[in-house]
Amino acid sequence: MSTLQQIPRNALVWIIISLFALVAPHASRLPIWILALYAVAVIWRLQVHRGRWSFPGRWVKVVMILSGFVGIYASYGSFVGLEPTVALLLIAFALKLLELSHRKDAYVLLFLGYFICLTQFLFSQDLLVTLYALVSVTVVTTALVAIHRPGEHQFKLGTLHVASVMLLQALPLMIVLFFLFPRFGPLWTVPIKNHTAKTGMSDFMKPGDVASLSQSADVAFRVKFDGEIPVKSALYWRGLVLSRIEQGVWSALSFYDLPANQLRPQEVIIGGEPIRYNVIMEPTQQRWLYGLKYARSDTRTVMQASDFRLFSPTLIETEFMYTVDSWTDVPVEETLSDWRRTTETQLPPTGNAKTRKLSLELREEAGSNAAFVDLVLDRFRVEPYVYTLRPGLLPEEDSIDAFLFQSQRGFCEHYASAFVFMMRAAGVPARVVAGYQGGEINPVNKTVIVHQFDAHAWAEVWLASRGWVRVDPTAAISPLRIEFGLEEAMASEGSFLSAMLLSPARYRSIPLLNLLRLRYDALTYRWQTWVVGFDSERQFNLLRSFFGETTAKAFAILLLGSWALVLLPVAISLFRAPDIEPVRPLAKHYRIFCKRLARLDLIRGAGETPSQFAQRVAEEFPDYAEQLWQITDLYNQLAYADAQRSAGNAAQNLQHFARVINRFRPKRRSAVLMTRAER
Amino acid sequence: MTVMRLWICCSAMWTLLGPKRDSVANDALGTEPQGKGIREQIRRRFRRWVNRRIPPAREVTLNQRRIFIFPSRVGFFFGGCLLIMLIAAINFENNLSYALTFWLATLFTVAILHTYANLSGLTIRALRAEPAFPGQQSEFHLMIKRSKRRDHFALHLKWANSSEVLVNLVDEDSVIIQLQMAVDNRGWFSPGRLLLESTYPLGLLRCWTLIDLELQALVYPRPLISKNLPVLATNTPDGAAAFVEGNDDFNGFRGYRKGDSLRQVHWKGLAKQQGLLTKQYTAYADRSVWLDWDMFAGVGTELRLSHLCYWVLEFDRRGEEVGLRLPTGVIEPALGEKHRDRILKELALYGKERQSR
Repeated sequence: MSTLQQIPRNALVWIIISLFALVAPHASRLPIWILALYAVAVIWRLQVHRGRWSFPGRWVKVVMILSGFVGIYASYGSFVGLEPTVALLLIAFALKLLELSHRKDAYVLLFLGYFICLTQFLFSQDLLVTLYALVSVTVVTTALVAIHRPGEHQFKLGTLHVASVMLLQALPLMIVLFFLFPRFGPLWTVPIKNHTAKTGMSDFMKPGDVASLSQSADVAFRVKFDGEIPVKSALYWRGLVLSRIEQGVWSALSFYDLPANQLRPQEVIIGGEPIRYNVIMEPTQQRWLYGLKYARSDTRTVMQASDFRLFSPTLIETEFMYTVDSWTDVPVEETLSDWRRTTETQLPPTGNAKTRKLSLELREEAGSNAAFVDLVLDRFRVEPYVYTLRPGLLPEEDSIDAFLFQSQRGFCEHYASAFVFMMRAAGVPARVVAGYQGGEINPVNKTVIVHQFDAHAWAEVWLASRGWVRVDPTAAISPLRIEFGLEEAMASEGSFLSAMLLSPARYRSIPLLNLLRLRYDALTYRWQTWVVGFDSERQFNLLRSFFGETTAKAFAILLLGSWALVLLPVAISLFRAPDIEPVRPLAKHYRIFCKRLARLDLIRGAGETPSQFAQRVAEEFPDYAEQLWQITDLYNQLAYADAQRSAGNAAQNLQHFARVINRFRPKRRSAVLMTRAER
Repeated sequence: MTVMRLWICCSAMWTLLGPKRDSVANDALGTEPQGKGIREQIRRRFRRWVNRRIPPAREVTLNQRRIFIFPSRVGFFFGGCLLIMLIAAINFENNLSYALTFWLATLFTVAILHTYANLSGLTIRALRAEPAFPGQQSEFHLMIKRSKRRDHFALHLKWANSSEVLVNLVDEDSVIIQLQMAVDNRGWFSPGRLLLESTYPLGLLRCWTLIDLELQALVYPRPLISKNLPVLATNTPDGAAAFVEGNDDFNGFRGYRKGDSLRQVHWKGLAKQQGLLTKQYTAYADRSVWLDWDMFAGVGTELRLSHLCYWVLEFDRRGEEVGLRLPTGVIEPALGEKHRDRILKELALYGKERQSR
């Protein structure tokens, strides 16, 4: 059996193609030496195929596997986590190629290939990633088909056809299963991803952080409102509350900083119709979620913190969808606990003396906290403060003093930070809020796309009987930023996405490109709602909307019915297909020959034997006589004399016949007559 | 509802047979079963069932009555891989992983139809089987014709103990294949049921059929030399020299007829492009040899046949005419391969069923 189980060359080529197709989407996440290993493995295997080298011996393999493990540990520092696990899989995949001698090795290799294709989705479920996965699955399946076609010693693109047809036939039933298969929670915990390489907010903020974030055109999240979209200037997506300042860095309180009686948020009396919307977050590897104040969510896995922000108890590792109700006008936390008051007025004991002094003076002048807020904002408005993405460097010591009194150039985080500092210096409870402001409205599907460059920081001040009130010092300096967004605000400076030459968001002014971008974004939104964000809740709603109350019986009928509906057409196409013409390769080649002769305006008559035809042609064009007779004799011999032929020989003879015909290329009739006339 | 019938048939077979596939295949291929009891009974039942389902015939076209299909070992392995993928999808709550898993699972289902289609519509025809001596390999010639609808790949053919062949039917309407198999006892040798299987296109399913092609090879007696040259009986009914075709004195040429000894072909003439001619010799009837059943008195039937066989071959080698007298019939002395084969056949079938099935 062993000789019958060898891998045809065609299959080997397809296997190598699938190898590269599978490793490509992981390439950016992998250390370079793994890619080098792939190159080595492929070259080695090809040399084995050509008979130059031999398969690696057992000890070589053991050494390679061990060094693979060592390499992984050196590159990732651990074997735990998704990245090292996938890297290990990919190494195994490459090394298996060096063992590939029989069909059973190919099965292991290709099934591993399918699994590697799956791991791609654990990193991203983007539409493009999915389209690419379609391609790689097709290539792997093609390789699987190719190993079952013995005797194919040349690369054949046609193998692709068989695999694609089968995969296409499988597609409808896959969709049915996708929507019907019950979704339940994880069976056990799984390795998680490393928390690097994601742009987005972090839980501390120092001057320059938000500005650098605004250089990214990545999407942070998309929002779909149930009703009208509120005006842009009202879209303050609250994400993080930064209540602590240490050495010029604002940071959020952690769960363990809170005393036990402060863990739960204060009850908020809600009234009026809420604004209802869905948010689909891109993966952030963080826990916090975004919403308009005051936000509540009825999604099961969304919780509310004591500072009224939303968060998820688990990391957002894949696209995450949640529904929010927001009441923008209700007062929040009307009575402030002592602990809270102390926390939200705390400042470092020393530093920024000028600011503290100014703050106390202004508070004195204002008379009330509310008036004090307005006075500070007026100061920002009147004095020559500049809203800029290029604020320049500030000193480590007394940075707020330096900003307020010297440079006077800053981005939102400078203003928010300075504002809150001033409030606290005068004993007014205040805190920095980080999140996003505004967003782009996609006219195609009426979603709000919030990009990383919409990142923003503002302040919240606690005022008696009004609770926490949002104050945005940036709005005082650059109203454009709040009304129209960062691009407008930075129009004169030209610094919007200045480092992102290829980002489509940078070319929003070109209508066609912009339309394409928005259409694609709408598609992404739909993709995320229907495919990526499909869960048991949506499944339940979908089934109910289609079939009313679902019973087990209806479910079974649905499953079996769709099964039959999908497979029947396949069966019909296979078994009731029109008969194909019997293959007579000899006749096929002869027809090519006749076609060539048609250039001489000579057509074989019905009932004219090949010999008679050759005779007629040779008389008119004696130059071709020799070739004509060679072909005709060969034809007669193959057609009549070799009737009792064995399979192998016949194939050889046919190849020879095809070659001879291929060499026969008569000129056009006119050309032949012309040369004849010249002579 | 081809599919349904297919599945019912498969599951029926599976429940009937249990998971020991190899023993089942061997059994169906005709090897003698060992051991008794329930398993033996099941096998007998299975054989009867296969015989009813696929009756013996010289030419068999495969249809759903004759094709069995079941996941191969690779298919079960693939199923295991799918299970792992499903668990990954559940644990990571990753919808596209679900989608990929379901896609591959459905591919498995679609592959049932494609694997079945690869065998469906094929016609297998028994051409001939070369006669052989015991212990030698007999060659069985089969023709496989494609269906009208599609190409066929990786068809794997074998009998239980024969050589195996892997063929594609892509550029040809039919192929002729040869399978070799060692034969044992004198008489008609039946190779049992031919196994034709394929796992194309994905290897996940094994589609097979067991067909009895009514193809039998003639097995001659084992030639065994006897101690003494038997007393040669001559037959000179009237003492006159009668002209029979023999190889004593050259007499002239005549056109080659099938069955003429190759030793008498006029090869030089062939080289001079005069065509195939047979040299004719004049022989005399009194030089012809009769081999007689009674020559080896006191010897058992099989041994007697073996001795006779040896001497037939020996005289044929020497180019002498030989005739045969058996209790069952008489063959007049003559020369040539055809004649020799006729005598050998007579010996092979002595006391056996004359007709091949």
